[in-house]
Amino acid sequence: MNTHSIPAVSASNVEMQFPGLLAVKDANFELDNGRFLTILGPSGSGKTTLLRMIAGFLKPTRGEIFIKGKEVSAVAPNKRSVGMVFQKLALFPHMTAAQNVAFPLKMRRFDAKKIPARVSEFLNLVRLDGLEDRRMNELSGGQQQRVAIARALVFEPDLLLLDEPLAALDRKLREEMQLEFRRIQKELGVTTINVTHDQREALVVSDQIIVMDHGEIQQDASPTQMYRTPHNPFVANFIGVTNLFVGQLAAVSGEAVDVTIGALTLSGILRSSPETAVLGAQVRCAVRAEQIRISAALDALGELDAAFQGTVKDVIFEGERLLYELSIPELGDDPVRIFHHDQNDFATHDVGETVHIGWMNRDMHIFVAP
Amino acid sequence: MQRSPSSYPLMWRVMDALEAAFAAIWPKGGGKYTPYLMLTPAIVLVGTLVVGLLYIGDSSLRTLDKSTFQFSEFWTLENYVRAFSEPFIFTVVWRSLMGAVIVTIVTLMLAFPYAYVMVRTPNAFLRKFLLIALFLPFFIGQVVRAYGWLIILGNQGIVNDVLGLVGVEPLRLLFNYPAVLFGLVQYMLPFAVLMLAPALTAIPEEIEAAAGSLGASWVETMTHVVLPMAKPGLIGAGLVVLTLSLTDFAMPAILGGGTQDFIANAIYDQFFRTSDQGFGATLALLLIALGSMLVGVVFAVFGAGTLALDGSQK
Amino acid sequence: MPIDKTFNRRQLLKTTAAVGAAGAFVASTPSILRAAEPDKPSEIIVRAWGGPWVEALKNGVSDRFTAETGIRVIHDLTEDNEIQPKVWAAVAQGRTPPIHINWDTTTNATKSALRGVCEDLSDLSNIAGTTDLAKPVGVEGYPIVNTYGYVYVLAYRPSAFPDGPPKSYHDLLDPKFKGRLAFYNDGIGFHFPAQVAGGGSLDGIPDAMDPAWEFITKMKAQNPLLGEDPDFVTWFQNGEIDAACTISTNALGAKKNGVDIAWTVPDEGAKFDTDGLWIPKGHSEGDLYWSKAYINSALTKESQQIWLDGLGLPGVVPGLTPPPGMAGDPAYPTKPEDFERLIRISGQVQVENESEWFSKFKTIMQG
Repeated sequence: MNTHSIPAVSASNVEMQFPGLLAVKDANFELDNGRFLTILGPSGSGKTTLLRMIAGFLKPTRGEIFIKGKEVSAVAPNKRSVGMVFQKLALFPHMTAAQNVAFPLKMRRFDAKKIPARVSEFLNLVRLDGLEDRRMNELSGGQQQRVAIARALVFEPDLLLLDEPLAALDRKLREEMQLEFRRIQKELGVTTINVTHDQREALVVSDQIIVMDHGEIQQDASPTQMYRTPHNPFVANFIGVTNLFVGQLAAVSGEAVDVTIGALTLSGILRSSPETAVLGAQVRCAVRAEQIRISAALDALGELDAAFQGTVKDVIFEGERLLYELSIPELGDDPVRIFHHDQNDFATHDVGETVHIGWMNRDMHIFVAP
Repeated sequence: MQRSPSSYPLMWRVMDALEAAFAAIWPKGGGKYTPYLMLTPAIVLVGTLVVGLLYIGDSSLRTLDKSTFQFSEFWTLENYVRAFSEPFIFTVVWRSLMGAVIVTIVTLMLAFPYAYVMVRTPNAFLRKFLLIALFLPFFIGQVVRAYGWLIILGNQGIVNDVLGLVGVEPLRLLFNYPAVLFGLVQYMLPFAVLMLAPALTAIPEEIEAAAGSLGASWVETMTHVVLPMAKPGLIGAGLVVLTLSLTDFAMPAILGGGTQDFIANAIYDQFFRTSDQGFGATLALLLIALGSMLVGVVFAVFGAGTLALDGSQK
Repeated sequence: MPIDKTFNRRQLLKTTAAVGAAGAFVASTPSILRAAEPDKPSEIIVRAWGGPWVEALKNGVSDRFTAETGIRVIHDLTEDNEIQPKVWAAVAQGRTPPIHINWDTTTNATKSALRGVCEDLSDLSNIAGTTDLAKPVGVEGYPIVNTYGYVYVLAYRPSAFPDGPPKSYHDLLDPKFKGRLAFYNDGIGFHFPAQVAGGGSLDGIPDAMDPAWEFITKMKAQNPLLGEDPDFVTWFQNGEIDAACTISTNALGAKKNGVDIAWTVPDEGAKFDTDGLWIPKGHSEGDLYWSKAYINSALTKESQQIWLDGLGLPGVVPGLTPPPGMAGDPAYPTKPEDFERLIRISGQVQVENESEWFSKFKTIMQG
């Protein structure tokens, strides 16, 4: 049997039923060796519950979890080879940085003589050399993160779990640590499962993303797939800023479909399964804010499949981009949101100004409403 | 900007009123000294204690003349010589000291799991039960509880009745050293649990989960993580139990059957039975010194910082 | 006469007045108590022991006093040994003492007398009608008036002594009594019989008491319980002990509670002691006068009879009728031959050596 065919982690029909709450329903996924998986979802989506089942802190009420091909539902956390970085880090305040990192080695009965060398190797890896003897209250937030990573990795676990450890950090430090996680993960090649509600973090660090909502896996795909071909409006809306319009299916020709939105007829790509694509069915049409072009003059927009005229209701300056909110009555009452990224184009549009917008048909995702 | 005064926290208003009162008494204003005036009640209280101690110190240096039952006009160290040379005093001091140490160790050993379960159990009913079981004896005074033990452990008590059912002759469970220690442990347990519970609550459950995922068994998590992190609570509870046991009067008096005097009982005898307040004062000062030394030793061994008193804890 | 030195002129004057008034009072014709009387206080405070003790005092003395004089009597149940430092402090600081009359053990009262905090009571008219027992031993005059005597008997459970009452404290050394005996926790009442049981003589008190300590050491091997008055009743009731050296009143109390109990004076003898009444210094003339009148009334035959019926103890006026069942009882000595087997040591010797005896006893028992 080819060892490559055994996934590092897999879940089969996993369910977690709390009293009065079904936290995880029928979860199935596979994660290959050395890959970085992010479970993405809003709070209460069941992502942390799923992670805690993988860590062994919770026992699934149904289904099986395999780590390196071994079913682990009945295995205690300390008998699993899983390193975890906790949301609040859970560092031992009564120990120094080095003692924290040495802790799993001692508990896992490593050769005592080799422990100091291993500890300093991992402190170097996370760039904490020189701070071995500091206690936790003498380290900065970022340094504490690094101790927690080193502690979770030092015993070379089969699997590294990250339970939103970056959530409490400020944005700059968070982005820095995201790259740091990615660097260390690549360097060691350790299979990693990360939990977050930050879609940007998920896109930046992951090889594979699972989006969860209401205890259910919505989509399991690579970041680019997830971004380009969302399976449902929830995923489309959760990853990036997406405009959703309600319409009816007017024509189907393979993936290419026509929809009517009010008096308009527009074309897009069908993302729901073809058998649901019944003519006249209600659909949701999703267009990402960054895939809509905006300009004062229609000519400046270049080639477009769909073009509209609208009024600027609000302009929000976000640094590297501008967010416009436009009123376009033909597309419904909700404002249409558009990102404007062109840093060389200093032309901005004022509130009340009439502007032209448009997009390509391939950027409009059509979902048949269930 | 309009803000109604009622939106101020109550404490601010109390402070404002106090400041206004100070200003009225001392119109020039204490300036930066005003805050120190707030310490006045505490200083008066401590000062009263110090004056009392000075009186006791003075008494301890005077001997009783048994032909007039008056105390000597001059100071002498005779009472101290007597305290250090009478074998009975040595016996009583040693018994109190050992008793306090044993009671402290046993109480902490029992209080820790009790507090741990109370803090950690997800079962609300169990937590409430443990809390009630903890507080109920608090409402019953020490003396009443001791008398309760007389009834339960007596020759015709419940325990001996049960033993009688299986054919065991009545056992003398009372009026000995173990009975006194038993009564003290039972008395101290709520104090210890109440002091330990906040210390355990302060340890995030995540830390225990972390220790588990890092490979520690439950026992290792307890010994390497929970116990060291609960150290301030354990030291605090230990100090309370140690000093309360060392100075206890009622348990030795009631459960000791007159044969298990602690220092407090010896002091009582001197004050009220033999009318020798001088020697009683000497023993009282020795008790204070002994207690302070014990606290000092605990601090020396574990460090004052263990009580989180050094202000560096975040 | 040394007595003159201890009394000042003011006291003598007061005394003179009191004698007349008290005499008139005893004549029991209140109508003629007039001109010489100081103002009556509305109440006087008498410290007493609780339970049957205060009940007996109330019936025998206090209620009768109130009926005669209209002065209310308040009973303060503070422990005798706890009121003592308060009274001493009050007298030392020139304050009015918290009580008017202290019902006290003669030994404790003697300490107060030696300290000089007691008013002299020699002028009470009814002292003339009392036996020698009323006179405190080892102090000058009457700083205290003893009001009755009591015996530290050897109380026992007859079922534990099938061959008849224990004849001697040596009988208690039988191994079957291990853990089944009780003494006072300071050994009071047992020191003197132990001196005899150990082969010593009463003349050896207080200077040659080794025999007592040797015998007490033997007794220690029996692991006796050590307690105070209420403990003995409880222990007999709960079947914790078979024999105890205790005041007869406690044994009587246990018997009244239905416990099968008897008592005896063993061959070694039994300590006989007295309780008394005294007045702390520092009261106003009127309060002192009426406090003295109270004590004087306690020495009348009628008051003694009712009071001591309640306590089951022998009084200090001749001709009292023994309470039911107590006639001829060793705990109720009345005739000189009754006293032959009882040990009476002067209050002064006791107060001077008591703390040493207590601490010796405790050293042995708690060692």
